[in-house]
Amino acid sequence: MTATHPGPYEAAYAHPDGDATAARLAQTARRYGYDGLVIRTREADVDAGALRERYDVDVVPAVEVVAGEPSSASGAVGNFRPDFPLVLVRGGTDALNRFAVEQDRIDVLAAPLSGEGGFNHVLAKAAATHGTRVEFDLGSALRESGGQRVRALKGLRKLREIVGYYDAPYVVSARPTSHLELRSPRELVAVGSQLGFEEAWLRAGLAEWGRLAARNRRRRSAEFISPGVRVDRCEEDDR
Amino acid sequence: MKHLPKHLRPRWRYLVVGLEAWPDADISRGPFQREVWYAAQNLLGDPGSADADLTVVRFRFEEGTGAAVVRARHGEVERGRAALACVDAVDGHPVGMRVRGVSGTIRAGEESYLGDAGGFGDESTVELANDGATGTGRRRRDGAVDVSTPSGYVGATDRDTSRPGRSDPADDAASDDN
Repeated sequence: MTATHPGPYEAAYAHPDGDATAARLAQTARRYGYDGLVIRTREADVDAGALRERYDVDVVPAVEVVAGEPSSASGAVGNFRPDFPLVLVRGGTDALNRFAVEQDRIDVLAAPLSGEGGFNHVLAKAAATHGTRVEFDLGSALRESGGQRVRALKGLRKLREIVGYYDAPYVVSARPTSHLELRSPRELVAVGSQLGFEEAWLRAGLAEWGRLAARNRRRRSAEFISPGVRVDRCEEDDR
Repeated sequence: MKHLPKHLRPRWRYLVVGLEAWPDADISRGPFQREVWYAAQNLLGDPGSADADLTVVRFRFEEGTGAAVVRARHGEVERGRAALACVDAVDGHPVGMRVRGVSGTIRAGEESYLGDAGGFGDESTVELANDGATGTGRRRRDGAVDVSTPSGYVGATDRDTSRPGRSDPADDAASDDN
């Protein structure tokens, strides 16, 4: 895969939030055909370089901020932003969802429809303006059943209509908490197609994690000054 | 009843499925078939489930690893794949699953995609490097280790584990170089 067209990425919870270590997730992700793996668990203590070398998967250490209200989330985001290439905020209330989409320094609004959270045109427009990716959680389609699943699918459809209309950025994930909950990209696309998503759209959402990670790594590197401005080596003619 | 003429017989595709579970899981064909039907019915509805007609024709599972061949009607493979992806537990045991490949005959599917047998290589007490929890670790052939900790199983690899007083993860990793 080239840098401009990254392959599919998945964003998983590692031990202690989940039941598998980052290494086990990386091993399984490689086998399932992922190019990359985002570890949402801050405490996982991921040695991304070693895992990449061993399993040939681009492991991205991230943090998913879980907070009760925007003020505490804001503090956590400020603390973790310098140390992690990806910063996610878990939604779940209207206030948190709103906070996440209105912050440039937040990469992903995770699980916006979990709990009491809602999503509407105002948030979609804000997400498009501030570049916060809205997460589509396929996990409930895979692992829930009955009424909970119906509600989750209803939410996904509504989210798809709003996000699609305003062309807001998005990511797709099954939010696995172990290697057993991982599903291959092809399986996720097959499930998503049954829910009314288009294949190309889903694949773009899986790849978006990789694009985000690459962008943020560029920004964190020493050459980066601001968007469009970077320190470069002199051209030979200038010497 | 007399066999259908050949042009009226349904055409099948065979999905070869890789299965994985914790070491204590004991999964057999009947419960797996039931979960596949439930998953198909829940995702595709009764008509879709009848169309896909997912039937487990081969099944093998031992020591936390297994494989199955699931038959689906020609043209219903993607729907079958979607239904299979929604199988997340069998008899209460969480399972990981993935379609390894699809083929036109059972034999071709078995030959092409049913290679590795899995199973556990050895069993010993190990320590998780990250949080220091110790427990019985069962190592699979591919370097994956399932560690039984007081709070339940943790999926790890030999990189994450060390045997107390014997080696640290760096030593284990070194053996990979040869």
